Amino acid sequence: MDSFFKVFSAAYGGGDGYALADTLSPIAPASQPDKLRRFVHSTNYASVQNDFKYRLLYDKASPLRLNVEEGKAWVEVYVSFWKACVEILQAEAAINDNQKPSWEKVYRAWKEVSDHLNRGYTAAGFENWTVPCLYVVGKYLRMFAIKADEVASSLEQTTIDFNEDLSLDDEQHANLEDAARQLNKVFQLCLSDRASLEESRKWGIYSIINLLFKTYFKLGKITLSKNILNALRAYRGDMPELDAFPLSHQVTFKYYVGVISFLDEKYEECETCLTEAWYMCHKDSLRNKELILTYLIPCHLLTTHTLPSQALLEPYPYLQTLFSPLVRCIKQGDLSGFDAALAAGEDEFVRRRIYLTLERGRDIALRNLLRKVFIAGGFEPAKTGEGSVRRSRIRLVEFAAAVSLGSKETMETDEVECLLANMIYKNLMKGYIAREAGMVVLNKKGAFPGTGI
Amino acid sequence: MSASPAPGSVSTVKATFSDKPADTKPAAALEEDDEFEDFPVESWTQEETDVPAGNTHLWEESWDDDETSEDFSAQLKEELKKVEANKKR
Repeated sequence: MDSFFKVFSAAYGGGDGYALADTLSPIAPASQPDKLRRFVHSTNYASVQNDFKYRLLYDKASPLRLNVEEGKAWVEVYVSFWKACVEILQAEAAINDNQKPSWEKVYRAWKEVSDHLNRGYTAAGFENWTVPCLYVVGKYLRMFAIKADEVASSLEQTTIDFNEDLSLDDEQHANLEDAARQLNKVFQLCLSDRASLEESRKWGIYSIINLLFKTYFKLGKITLSKNILNALRAYRGDMPELDAFPLSHQVTFKYYVGVISFLDEKYEECETCLTEAWYMCHKDSLRNKELILTYLIPCHLLTTHTLPSQALLEPYPYLQTLFSPLVRCIKQGDLSGFDAALAAGEDEFVRRRIYLTLERGRDIALRNLLRKVFIAGGFEPAKTGEGSVRRSRIRLVEFAAAVSLGSKETMETDEVECLLANMIYKNLMKGYIAREAGMVVLNKKGAFPGTGI
Repeated sequence: MSASPAPGSVSTVKATFSDKPADTKPAAALEEDDEFEDFPVESWTQEETDVPAGNTHLWEESWDDDETSEDFSAQLKEELKKVEANKKR
């Protein structure tokens, strides 16, 4: 209790929010592996309340002079924290004895911590520099809920295996659903703070939003994220700019907003968000960079028709495996190869939710193929006084032949025309089809916009 | 404060959390995949972002003109014969 109070006192006295938040961390740091245990053993159920009360409010020797209301609220927070720590140690002991740990008890106890902390802000005047406490408590609220759900679903599996068809989705995530509601309260707590910006809890908002995003993604309720973004938009003028927040908050936020836009097929927005996230991401967070690229690469394919270079993919073996075959086929205009690569990677692409976007990359592969036909067509016989001009009238069968390269079937003329018409419509190719002549007449000044010919 | 930690307990406390990723992966690998990791630090400087200047060599054009187009011409001619033969039938 002494050492705990020393840390609290220093953090509180110094107005250091992150140090204060550390006192609410349910993980013992590597430097003090027995911290939690010692903290739990420093008091007991009967006296925990009075111990904290004495230390925080009545100890004459204490350098701190907390306002009574606020002090009482911190006492409640720490008493509930102590109780949660007891549950954590019990869960760990259970794991040690090869018993099922009750993470649900931990979750419920931890939720109490969160409730008391929230109340501190709404009713006891906790100041805004303490908001990192909300991050720490929120982070573990989510983690304990996930652990509790895992135990619950593993129990379910052993007892009722045959219920697979009945959608148990909601029940499987009962605790996490609850955590989402609790985090939403914290979100509102930050959002609705009317204090001036210097004193506002709004400075905690992106950290909480990021926790909510992670939770909604895990629950498969991504659309709920949009409610958050809408609420945020409604308060826009009243909110510090995103770039005033710590980079970790910004990058995580941009990643999730980018992915949400991606899933909404808002690729321009997605590209902006993910590109910014990519540039701001910490260089050692390879996994996060890899995640950003997983969505940025398909996005780039559609927005700018560009592909990742070898240099970009080099540090990420996973991404190389994921994208290299497709990239190669797109470059070569190899349609059947593209289809095969898409089919081969289908499971993984679907799992990462990028299948449909990548599928649209077939247009680029086709464009490159048609472009090769155009180049293979060579030049018009040179006329005096003019530079060389590419042969711009190309027989439809040439395109038909190109399209059927590598596949066993030959495509009907109608189908080929349809493909070409689509390319023209999408502005990937310029020209028209002269049907009766069986010819395609391409624009002499830029038959394939943006590709130099 | 008096209770000294039992030997062995130390590693438990640490292991439960530090091993978490490995711990949860099999059970929830599906959903966990997309989850953005917490950064080890709250904020960092420009120097710690490690992005090469300009992005010209990160993204490249989607076509490849270096490839010998003669090969392709030959292939195309070959295919063209087949297609035309099919037509006549």
